[in-house]
Amino acid sequence: MTAEPTTDPREAELAALRAHVAELEAQLAEQTRTTARLVADAQEKLYWLERWHIDLDRLMARPGAIPALNALRRVRQVVWWLRVRKRRLLGG
Amino acid sequence: MSAPRSVSVVVPVKDGERYLRELLDAVLAQAADAPGGLDVLVIDSGSSDRSVAIAREAGAEVVEIEPASFGHGRTRNLGAERTSGDIIAFLTQDATPLPGWIAALLEGFGLADDVGAVYGPHRPRPDTSPMIARELEAFFAGHAAGGRDGVSPSLQREGDDAYLSNVNAAYRRDCWEQLRFPDVPYSEDQAFAQAMLAAGWAKAFHPDAAVLHAHDYPPVQFARRYFDEYRGLRQTIGHVEGFGVRSAVRDVRSLVAHDRAWMREHGYEGAQLARWTARSAVHQGSRKVFSALGSRADRLPAAVQRRISLEGTAITAPGDAGNPAAPASETAAMAVSGKPIRAASRPLAYDAVRRYAHDGPAPLLDPLPGQDADRPLHVACVIPPFSRGSGGHNSIFQIMSRLERAGHTVTYWVDDTFGLMAADRPARIRRDIQEWFAPIAGPVFKGFADWYGADVAVATGWQTAHPVALLPGVRGRAYLVHDHEPEFYATSVEAHWAADTYLLGMHHICASPWLADIVAERYGGSVSTFDFGVDHAVYHRTGAPRREDTVVLYGRDVTPRRAVPLALMALKELADRRPNLRVLSFGDAREIDLPVDYEHLGILSQRELAQVYNEGTVGLVLSLTNYSLIPQEMLACGMPCVDLAGISAESVFGADGPVALSPFDPVAMAEVIDRLMGDRDEWRRRSEAGVAFVAGRTWDVAAEQVEAGLRETLARRMAAGDAPAAAAPRSGA
Repeated sequence: MTAEPTTDPREAELAALRAHVAELEAQLAEQTRTTARLVADAQEKLYWLERWHIDLDRLMARPGAIPALNALRRVRQVVWWLRVRKRRLLGG
Repeated sequence: MSAPRSVSVVVPVKDGERYLRELLDAVLAQAADAPGGLDVLVIDSGSSDRSVAIAREAGAEVVEIEPASFGHGRTRNLGAERTSGDIIAFLTQDATPLPGWIAALLEGFGLADDVGAVYGPHRPRPDTSPMIARELEAFFAGHAAGGRDGVSPSLQREGDDAYLSNVNAAYRRDCWEQLRFPDVPYSEDQAFAQAMLAAGWAKAFHPDAAVLHAHDYPPVQFARRYFDEYRGLRQTIGHVEGFGVRSAVRDVRSLVAHDRAWMREHGYEGAQLARWTARSAVHQGSRKVFSALGSRADRLPAAVQRRISLEGTAITAPGDAGNPAAPASETAAMAVSGKPIRAASRPLAYDAVRRYAHDGPAPLLDPLPGQDADRPLHVACVIPPFSRGSGGHNSIFQIMSRLERAGHTVTYWVDDTFGLMAADRPARIRRDIQEWFAPIAGPVFKGFADWYGADVAVATGWQTAHPVALLPGVRGRAYLVHDHEPEFYATSVEAHWAADTYLLGMHHICASPWLADIVAERYGGSVSTFDFGVDHAVYHRTGAPRREDTVVLYGRDVTPRRAVPLALMALKELADRRPNLRVLSFGDAREIDLPVDYEHLGILSQRELAQVYNEGTVGLVLSLTNYSLIPQEMLACGMPCVDLAGISAESVFGADGPVALSPFDPVAMAEVIDRLMGDRDEWRRRSEAGVAFVAGRTWDVAAEQVEAGLRETLARRMAAGDAPAAAAPRSGA
């Protein structure tokens, strides 16, 4: 007489749930790794701001900060536009 | 601070027309010295003279407040709030800045990154009486670097003099924002200075940031002013000026003699000298009497106080307030009351101990399959504050950086209870770690506001153990034990709490078998061990010619467990035997009192240390607790060393290994060093044994050992299947 394969639906469900938990744990671990790396990268970029205690939020809350930033962006757009034109003209 | 900084000058005023025009002109003339811009705010609290008009004419912004709402701290906070300069400079209405004042203030902030305040001297005006002029000169002369003869700016940090005066002081805005002036009747500047130094900020004195300022009055008004001043000191800090007839006469004579000497130096002679000598005697005598009287002003009737006080005010004795008609018996019953103090805004020191006692440890999550074997872990490393050269932190970061390279994720959490690194932000701390210790890759967090759990939370010093026990979302807790820290303290709560940390149910990863034995036997904790590594790229034999008369001393006298006084005695004995002895001391910026000539090396870089270890004959590195990294690094450079017998060194180096062990006796220690210096065979044997001993000691190996300890932490959790045994909370919460 040969043994019948287990067909208890609860065991199958438990196995599926365990696999799902393992998958979620793996996702969480990956998320933790990514978070740590992103924060570390941000700290690398923010070093000089933090070194000099420059608070961008406070800086931008000052009167005139937003117009100044917008003006800077416009100047940058003009510079880019000029560069593109120059490249096209010179064929670079 | 090289970036342009804007400066806001704030001047609280009441009936200050006498010097206000001169003051504002002097400030505005220096606008070019503030590259980020200069603005001036005058806060008038009810002047009846032309102060407000003068301020407006000069172009200053004027804010008028009710006289009753004035407070030294409160009003200056208002001034800081109403301005936007990166630097907020405060002047009193009778302090006229001298040329170069703003430039010197900004230079003061550039002395170090953590300078939160800069102050300068008060110089006498031309008509200031000689007694006051001398006092001012003498007082501020001691503030410059180099002492009384110094002319350079100086820096003060925690433990240094907390003097700061808002007559002439400037603050970095973020420092003021962090602390703000307390709302106290007097001495808000002194209170701020104490708080900022305690929070890890530095302050600077710049001798060129000078103002003309002297409180000069006729003799009677001087006496009345001293009455007010000492009455205020009694109210704010409880100071009571002593008084005795003999001592008062002696003091007054001495002060008058000093005044006369100063006058002679400054060309006073003949009748002028006699007249000012008489004034000096009256001044110093009345000061003595009225300062003592001011300290006891609460014993005087209010009417008498008002007559004496220059401010025309009176204070009431404790218990009298609001009930002047109370019968004598009731007054006596009410007499015992204290000065009301507001609750401190800072958290309680070591508050995690209290929270642990109340709540107990946070529940642990179940470890995941494979975390006790080879699955990558998220390790949260909780560290106490540090400074450059910290040996314990070097070990932590060397190991953690290698765990990162092995595939683990490590996050670093600075638990800074006392605000020792308050001025440093996470990115700065991270870079400091990378530059001073090891190239870590993980992020750094200050405090636990952003805590997001970890597979293993690691305590790395006793102060971090209770906070780690409280962290939620953790599968295991480990304790990287570098030393038996209760021994760092005299009988104290710190000693008790440090001992308690070995009872929190963590797994202990100990930095020597000696330490592991203590934790296991004395506290019943689970233990594994790791060995300190050596950076062989730095510490190795260079083949440079080695001197035969040189003892290299770890002279860190500020750390009592390094037994420096004993080492000094041994060196004195040794110098008597070896007249040509050369002693090099390192490990402390401060010089030590050694009764033989020596060379003070201060704090050296690792490369410099390796050079010294390759040049010296014998190292003298004592430890009354666990051994340190230094003996191993000396051995790696081929220099044998001497440590104390009967403590931890045997457990690491063996009884007759590369380290020569000495009894706790200066004469015997001198003999051990003398023998090692004189016996070439023994020296060579220990030198070779040392190089061989440390050959296998690397930070890679240490990291593997610590990783095994972390795995064991999780394995024990898996085996236990529930939270570790730990001290139960004391409340039902």
